[in-house]
Amino acid sequence: MIEGLRRVVRGIREHFYFFVVSTGVVASALVLLGLFAMVLRDVNAMVGSWQADQHVSAYFAAGVTPEVETEMHALVAGRREVAKVERVTSADAAVWMTERAPELAAVFSELGPAALPASLEITLQPEIATPEKMEAFVASLKIQGTRPDGDGVIGTVWEDVDYGQEWVARVHTFLSLLTALGFAFGAATGLATLFLVANTIHLVVHARQDELAILRLVGATERYIVGPFIVEGVMQGLIGGLTATVVLYAIHQGLLVRLHSLLSLAMGAAPTFLPADQVVVLVATGVALGAGAAWGAVRRFLARLP
Amino acid sequence: MIRLYHIVKSYGEHNALRDVSVHVERGEFIYITGPSGAGKSTLLKILYGAERPSSGKMLVGGLDVTALDRERVAQLRRNMGIVFQDFKLLPRRTVADNVALALEVMGAPRDQINRRVPAALNIVGLKGREGSLASHLSGGEQQRVAIARAIVNDPAVMLCDEPTGNLDGGMAVEVMEILQAIHRRGTTVLVATHDQGLMDRFPKRVLRLLDGRLSTIEPPKRRSVAPGVGPAERG
Ligand SMILES: Nc1ncnc2c1ncn2[C@@H]1O[C@H](COP(=O)(O)OP(=O)(O)OP(=O)(O)O)[C@@H](O)[C@H]1O
Ligand SMILES: [Mg+2]
Repeated sequence: MIEGLRRVVRGIREHFYFFVVSTGVVASALVLLGLFAMVLRDVNAMVGSWQADQHVSAYFAAGVTPEVETEMHALVAGRREVAKVERVTSADAAVWMTERAPELAAVFSELGPAALPASLEITLQPEIATPEKMEAFVASLKIQGTRPDGDGVIGTVWEDVDYGQEWVARVHTFLSLLTALGFAFGAATGLATLFLVANTIHLVVHARQDELAILRLVGATERYIVGPFIVEGVMQGLIGGLTATVVLYAIHQGLLVRLHSLLSLAMGAAPTFLPADQVVVLVATGVALGAGAAWGAVRRFLARLP
Repeated sequence: MIRLYHIVKSYGEHNALRDVSVHVERGEFIYITGPSGAGKSTLLKILYGAERPSSGKMLVGGLDVTALDRERVAQLRRNMGIVFQDFKLLPRRTVADNVALALEVMGAPRDQINRRVPAALNIVGLKGREGSLASHLSGGEQQRVAIARAIVNDPAVMLCDEPTGNLDGGMAVEVMEILQAIHRRGTTVLVATHDQGLMDRFPKRVLRLLDGRLSTIEPPKRRSVAPGVGPAERG
């Protein structure tokens, strides 16, 4: 045990430059992976906030009585697709509008309180976020609003049902694309990382192959030779992982948060740094990468030795 | 000590060794000679497990070592000292660290290492050079470090492939004298060389290879009673 540690320390001391380079490469690889994880988290949060916004505005036609409005409110609130429904009277709408555009106050007072239609502002359950399901919901809402008119003609209580049809379809396509891209980019990043670390450590072991040959010649077993390299790989993973965490935190503070405040309108939720468990996974990935690459490389060189 | 029965080693079409059968007794000193490409190195490689014979059988110390796995090859090498033309030292380690390597890989305790390394260095005449870096030594000194590493765990057999190949005349004689001294302590020594001058100066039994075949086994020349001819020295 002590003898083994002595050998690890000696190996690092004799090849300190290689140790630093390998650790740096592991750290860079993990920064790459961590950046990807962070962006993915942000996109996920963004998607979440968009989906939570799945929203339908159903405007009542002029002349619909408050009793009918109340009845429709109850009907809509009872549907299982609906997460929340809010009744907005003409007066509420006028107030809302006046608050945001005070210059319109004169127009409203001239037109009277009924200038804007009363409406039901409906928030749907998240699982109704696809264009097809929203369309189906709106269609059934229209059927529910159908009333026989006084003259025996079929009429409807709705002036209009608005759910940003095009917007929903576009966001949906965009999100599917984003998910596919995310997976492709994740796979590419993972492969690049693996390749980078494996090749660096392969080169480092290559530079030490005379040492491997001599050890083998004086009767060292494979375990004896591989052991210190694996411990070195673990240390490179640990140090590289912690370094990567610090770098990622700096990038997060310096770049993502600022970028977010610029784009906050489009993005919604503020970006948060990787949670502790994901940092642990990142460092563990580094350890596994370092140890695995060392093991693979040394085994490959030993297999070639007489 | 060493028994080879009908050893054949082929590399593809080419036969590096063809039907070699030899017995080497415990405590013998033997030269393996022959022109370049005759199969001298191949014969030694087969003995220390770096190559497997294509056919035939061999025993070392009564043990069948014809087809060992890597773990057993490591065990075999701990009982052999191997010396090469190019020394094979770790240049950035000290003389003592290089010699200690052969004990460390066996898991020998520190106090044993501290005792045996200076003793081995004493035998090769490098007492007091423990702390020098291997790369700072002359060729002859480096080869003596390699020999000290080979003998530090008291192996029964020592295999030397052109141990004087990179050394000039004076240093070559020094190295040969050290090998003689080791032989006198009872170690079986096999030396592959094509230096006829050295073989004349230190006459021993000679295995002559020609194109992979054992052509002759010559007894030691009688013309001189060279210093260092021990009692084990029989034809
Ligand atoms: N790994 C190999 N692959 C193919 N052929 C080989 C291999 N090793 C040795 N040989 C061939 O086997 C023959 C014997 O080689 P070996 O190295 O044993 O000769 P040697 O007697 O030691 O020669 P030298 O005096 O030059 O060292 C040579 O023809 C060589 O080319
Ligand atoms: Mg040779």
